Parts: sequence; structure tokens; C-alpha cells
Amino acid sequence: MSLSWSWLFLLLATFPWLLGVDLLSDAMATSGVCLFISGAAIIAPCRRLRRWQAVLFSACVGFLFESLRPIPDGSLALLLVLVAIYLTSHRAEIRDMPKMFGAAVLVNGLACTAWFIAAGLAHMKEVPLLSLHFLGQWLLHLLLATILAVLLLVPLTLVQNFAMDKVGVPQPDEVL
Amino acid sequence: MDNNRQGAKASYVALVFFLGLWMILPSAVRRFNREAFAEFQAPALHLVGKGRDLARYWELKSRSPEELTAAARDLARINAALELKIHSLDDARKENLRLREMLRYPKTEEFVTVVARVSIRETSSWWQRIIIRKGRSDGVRPGCPVVFGDRVIGRVSIVHLTTSEVDLVTSPVFRCTAFLEGDEQYHVVHVSGQAGLALSAPRALVSIIPLDYSPPAGQVAKVMTTGLGGVFPSGLTLGTLETGVQSTAEKHLQTGALTPAKELSFIQEVSVLIPKYPTAGEILLTPADSAKPEEFR
Repeated sequence: MSLSWSWLFLLLATFPWLLGVDLLSDAMATSGVCLFISGAAIIAPCRRLRRWQAVLFSACVGFLFESLRPIPDGSLALLLVLVAIYLTSHRAEIRDMPKMFGAAVLVNGLACTAWFIAAGLAHMKEVPLLSLHFLGQWLLHLLLATILAVLLLVPLTLVQNFAMDKVGVPQPDEVL
Repeated sequence: MDNNRQGAKASYVALVFFLGLWMILPSAVRRFNREAFAEFQAPALHLVGKGRDLARYWELKSRSPEELTAAARDLARINAALELKIHSLDDARKENLRLREMLRYPKTEEFVTVVARVSIRETSSWWQRIIIRKGRSDGVRPGCPVVFGDRVIGRVSIVHLTTSEVDLVTSPVFRCTAFLEGDEQYHVVHVSGQAGLALSAPRALVSIIPLDYSPPAGQVAKVMTTGLGGVFPSGLTLGTLETGVQSTAEKHLQTGALTPAKELSFIQEVSVLIPKYPTAGEILLTPADSAKPEEFR
């Protein structure tokens, strides 16, 4: 497979994880929480892919989450693109595993906040943004997003690294 | 490194440019983008749904023959009782038709029923929805009512080629008019979904209940569709009105919580009611030059 299509190959390798988290949300449907991992899914690819590839990958991950939910178009995808540009230009900040954990928690939390607020803007008449109800919901989703990022980062990174190795994406040291 | 920084700056500029472009793009482009990503996921959703069906199949297959024989016997009895009921209903239907013809009463909305399996449930504070494995290719249209038996589940919000998204009764975007059981004056009340609290059962809100309304003694009041909106047929059960109806701040109306008629988080199969003829809403949204006069019934 051509190296320029590696982002697509990587997206196909990541998609089962995104679907798996959706199924986990489905299993917890009675609790009314939406689990989220898309933010953490862009960390490992941003270490190794070229910037334009990382941007395309991040946009697709964001659009995949948005496509089946009533979230304003592009609110999550464009934020992930912004994060991808930042991470690919500061690769030293995700060089080792502890730094990757920090980045995953931060990016997943930030992205979760972005979609939560974007979706909540449509219901501002019923639930004001600065109410206890809203803050409680947001904190719960944020907590779950950070926990999930910590729990799933290692297996997700392993799968993504395996996929990148297979398509011949250079190692992080070579990219730096 | 300088090249990297310059490249990053150029990327930020390109992103800002794209953001501006994204905001002024026609909504059709954004819709196409959303549709493309939804279609990308559709096969996986089908696979998930079929996997569940297979698991159920193997679970049923592991039952003992005695259990299956008992179930078949029970079903045969139910079938016999239902056949009798069909005969009595057929007589009522014929009489109803005859009376309608005598009075020249307008025909009621006719629906084609499409049974659909649930692929996946999506819940959050801001939405309560399910994705079903029937779509545009099966004739499903946006706005079609979704039911289970005589109980309302929700309404189709977005239709893809082979899947559809259904907003549940408890979803904040759901709106419907209803009658309350025990209200002899048939006041129309309003049912709307609510942005839900996480870790609690989703609910809907019943508003504009008249002050003089009191539920039937010793039982929970059913909330039923009116058929006035042109979406849902009349007489379907939306749910039950919870006890503890409260008057509004102005003290001239009451509001209460609605418990959905069906446990929405565990539902496996639903029926989509597709109107045989375009509804009033669809006709209004159809461009005048493409509308067919014979559809205006």
C-alpha cells in the first residue's frame, strides 16, 4: 500500500475501536452517558504520520463521531484537526508513554467538552449553560472521557503502531 | 525545525481559511459530508445488529425441546384467541367503512408497516436515539412514526440508504400532542422530550394540562396521541403520566412527567409506519413544480 494512503489504512484499523466504544455506550444506554475515545485515538498517529496525513485522519475520526449524532457539523472534527496540527508540530510533547498519556487525557477531555457544549447549545432554552444540571453532566462526561483515554490508550496505540508498521510509516525518531 | 514551524503556521492559516469556507458553504455540502460518513459506518452497524440476532438465535437454540413445545402450545392458544378477535374486528371495520361512506367522512391516514431491528442505541444528555436497520431503500422517510405494537417509540429523524436514525419519545427534540386518559373534555396536552440527567431514566414532559384535570382514581393515566399533528395515528400510547403533577408558576396549568410506554433502552425491534400518501408537511416542503396533483388527497 502506498504511504500516502497510510492514514486511510490507519483509519480502518482504528474504526473497530470507535465502534467498540459506541457499543459500550449502547450497553450503558439506560445511564444516559455517551462514552468517547476519538480524542485519544489521534495521539499515536500524530507521532508518526506526516502533518497532512494526521490532519486527514483526525478530521475523519471527528466526522465519524459527528455523523450519527446531532452535533453541529464540524465542531469536533475541526477541533481535532487543530490539535493534530499542534501535535505534529510539537512531536516532542508526545515522544514517550507518560507524555502520551497526558496528551490523550487532555485531548480527549478537550474534544469531549467541545462536542458536549456544541450539542448543548441547541438546548439552551431548556438548560442554561451555566446551570448545575449542565455542569454536572459535563463533569460526568469529562470524567468518563479521561478514564477511557487512560484505559484504552495502550491497546489502541499498540494496534495503531502495528498498522503503521505494516504500511511502512517511519518510526517517531525518524520523523523528528 | 524552522521548516516544521513554518509548515505549522501555514497549516493554521489553511485551517482558519477552511473554517471560514466551512461556515459559508451551502448546507447541502455539509449534509453530503455527514451522509458519506454515516454510510461508511452503515455496514458495521448492520454487522453489529446481525451479530446480536445471531447471539439471540443461538441462545434460543440452546433451549430444551420441552421448553420450545410449551412455548409453541402457548403461541397456538394465543393465535386461536387472536383469530377470533380478528373476525370481530373485521365486522367492526366493515361497519365503520359503511358509516364513513354514509357520512362522506374523509379517509384516515393509511400506513405501510415496515418492521426494523435496532442496530445501536445512542443516548446522552442531549439526545436519545436509536439506529434501525431499515432506510431509504425500504421506503422509510424522515418524520415517519416509529411504534412497538400500539406504543409510540419515537419518530424517524434522518434516513440513510440502509439505516435510519430515530429520535425517541424522551429525546429533547421530540414534540407531540396528546390526550389524557380520564379527561372527558379531551383537552389537548403537549408532550416533549427533556434533556436528561445522566445515570437516571430518561423522561418526557407533559405540559399544558388543565388545572381541573385529575387522573382516574386508583390507576395511572395513559397519555395517548391525538392524530392532530398529521404524524402519528390517533390512539397510540405515548406512556403514562407519573403521579405528582405540579401546577406551573402562573398557576393556570399543570405539568407532569411521562414514563414511556416501552422500556426504550432495551428495545430490539420496532415498526416504522410509512404514510401511503405524502403527509401535509411533506407536501408543503415539496417544490411546487415537482408536486404531483394526484398526491394531494
